[in-house]
Amino acid sequence: MSLTFLEAGLLGFVLVCGLTTALLKDVLSSIIAFAAYSLGMAMFWVILRAPDVALTEAAVGAGVMSLLLLLTIARTVRPSHEAFTESIRLRTAGVVGAFVLVLGTTIPSLPAIGSPSAPVIDYRVTEYYIANTYAQTGVKNAVTAVLAAYRGFDTLGEATVVFAAGIAVLVVLRKEGFV
Amino acid sequence: MSAVTDLLLTRYNYLAVVVLSGIGMYMMIENRNLVKKVIGMNVFQTAIFLFFITTAYVEGGAPAILESGGGGGGGPYVSPLPQVLILTAIVVGVSLTAVALALIVRIYAEYGTLDEEALREVTGE
Repeated sequence: MSLTFLEAGLLGFVLVCGLTTALLKDVLSSIIAFAAYSLGMAMFWVILRAPDVALTEAAVGAGVMSLLLLLTIARTVRPSHEAFTESIRLRTAGVVGAFVLVLGTTIPSLPAIGSPSAPVIDYRVTEYYIANTYAQTGVKNAVTAVLAAYRGFDTLGEATVVFAAGIAVLVVLRKEGFV
Repeated sequence: MSAVTDLLLTRYNYLAVVVLSGIGMYMMIENRNLVKKVIGMNVFQTAIFLFFITTAYVEGGAPAILESGGGGGGGPYVSPLPQVLILTAIVVGVSLTAVALALIVRIYAEYGTLDEEALREVTGE
């Protein structure tokens, strides 16, 4: 696909929010910038035709995540600083720059965005899901069908992770129940 | 059209993926506040989500809501599989963040600070 103004604007918004999150010294400001970043991402998922991911990102990424972060600084501390932004240390910036460059060299070998001959689109797994999901499961939304039926064990594993995380939080905070 | 412009116009999402993962990595290494390190981890994660969702996209494709039988007539659909993987990854990411933040609350209760350097002094490293 070619870059439209909407996509360019949203990508720019997301990048600026990400950068703001990194550079603001104050933790609360950083959390707010991160919430805006998540919201921008959720809108970008809609453009990339991933409505299920967009809903999850908006509810969980922008909602629950911000809430958890805010609860954490409410229970701990929000240090006050003289400086408004972080000072950038060149050594770290150099290391990260090298990482970005190495990663960036792989970009030309990736297929163009939206190309119908891209490996993910052209592969028989995708074709199988598109062709057979409705007949085999009776679910119109292929994402739901794959999540709950074809990759059901994966989702069971996910539920196990969430359960284990809940237990871990209770153990770490020394609570005996969710009350 | 030069090669760089071509790259920018056809693979811009991947450029954003690289830049965002750089931002996330920088936050994890450089920010001294532990809460901001966790935020950095989440920025890095989101960059990887962007990579997966972009690979699933197809030009002119519809979301994978199959009207009847799929395949014929419906036109191109985006691939459902990467989207499913990312749905799982988002939820796992939140679980990870919750545990990390609980540990941060405990660290603050024990040591009274969330600053990396101060913690290093307190624990005597």
